Amino acid sequence: MSYISPKDFSEDTGLIAEVMRVMGGDLRLEWMKDCPHAMAARPSQPRRGLTLDDINDDPYYGPSAIPEIIRRHFSMTPRGGVLPEGLPSLGYRLNRKSDVWADSATVLFEESKSRRWAPARSVPWDALDEASLSSEEDVAIRQLCTGLTSIGLVSTDVPSRWVWLMNQDFHEIKYWMCAQMFDATRLAEAFRKRALYGRGALGCDSRELGELLKIIMESETYPLASAALNLTLFSFVQNLGRRFEYLSTNAADTYLGTRLVQDASRFVAYGIDHIRQLVGTRPSQAEIVNDHLDLVENGLVGYLGSRELIEPLVVLSGGVESVAAFYRRAAEQYFERCVAAGLGERQDRSPLPAFLKLLDS
Amino acid sequence: MSIRFPSLEFFKALQQRAKDDADVFEKLGVCDTTFGIRVGSDLYRIAFEVYECTEVDETNDPASLDFVLTAPVALWKDMFESVIANGGADAAHTINTLTHVGDVMKVEYEDPEGHDRLYRFMATIQEFLDEAQHLDVEMG
Repeated sequence: MSYISPKDFSEDTGLIAEVMRVMGGDLRLEWMKDCPHAMAARPSQPRRGLTLDDINDDPYYGPSAIPEIIRRHFSMTPRGGVLPEGLPSLGYRLNRKSDVWADSATVLFEESKSRRWAPARSVPWDALDEASLSSEEDVAIRQLCTGLTSIGLVSTDVPSRWVWLMNQDFHEIKYWMCAQMFDATRLAEAFRKRALYGRGALGCDSRELGELLKIIMESETYPLASAALNLTLFSFVQNLGRRFEYLSTNAADTYLGTRLVQDASRFVAYGIDHIRQLVGTRPSQAEIVNDHLDLVENGLVGYLGSRELIEPLVVLSGGVESVAAFYRRAAEQYFERCVAAGLGERQDRSPLPAFLKLLDS
Repeated sequence: MSIRFPSLEFFKALQQRAKDDADVFEKLGVCDTTFGIRVGSDLYRIAFEVYECTEVDETNDPASLDFVLTAPVALWKDMFESVIANGGADAAHTINTLTHVGDVMKVEYEDPEGHDRLYRFMATIQEFLDEAQHLDVEMG
């Protein structure tokens, strides 16, 4: 149901009288006197331009003044703006800084825009016309692209489920999440185009991938969703990008793999920083996140073991041993990131090591 | 005049080439990392800031670097010969491909977030190495 303002502005005689006074030249200009704090925002590095960190270089406007729990306002007022009486609450539910914050989000947001690319023209698509792929390899690549397209699409959904619940004081995180949505959209677009290029076709969806993505999407809180998406899923997406590039035989696939790696790595960087700052501020959250990642990694085992993923990897890699080694390295790097995020060693509780041992046997 | 590889002069020539091709690096986007290239026993330090390669020198302090790409001299020669012959690394000689398996070219790091800078800025780092295609290189 649409929101209905408690005041009927079109029938508000007070408002209309004020408008008439202004039109008659009676300007009070109170908003001009209310400006509480001026700062001299300038680019600290002209080549980089005016960044979020530059305009945050003042305690009044910067994030250092954000309390751990925001109780002051739930309106649309941008951080540092004047709050008049009677502002409506926009119903924000994420009002705790450690639930969302990562200092690196400003840099990652700027980086996301600076390192943009456009699948329509940036990818040298015509290199695929000369690619020397067997029909099995061609179908296998398109199958991998089908899964990556699903991952990209759901990775736009996950931040969108939370960003509108987040207090405006965390605008840097909201900006970053919007950038993530765009980055994930681009991945979905690029890999859908790759699947369909030439005489292409989408491949087969995977029930196990669907289960993994559903576990991530339905995470109960934003910190859990962030850990699941950014730390766990995108650690493996980054490695899938590395694999895609490694297996490439042409400039188009090399380009796509490299860009998947670079874009996924920003998700990973935010995930590590966010969870580290969360558990640094509230150590009891570490166990809650670890509990959730037990479930997420169980879903990940399903995806890594699904025929829709492992078989095209085997076809393209020329054998199972190479895929097992790839999974092992990806898991090692993922566990290192969990330690960096303050979650400790996860190997003893994770289902991943037993799965990898099974592959080795 | 040819430039010998490996040498500090070679990496400084790559830096100059990157400055000459500033538009290409600006299009790739910001790149903020200080990393190492270990050729045999020699360790070269490469610093990128914003769009530019700002510093190239020799170091013996790998702990100050985000990551170090480590390979025997012969592998680096093989890689740069591919760059020169193909106008940029071919699919078999990209940094990602050479480091992906782990026993061809190694990536050394202490901090996983430093390590991930290799992946965040891989396209720029590859472009920097691909600048060797414009040099007259004498493989030492």
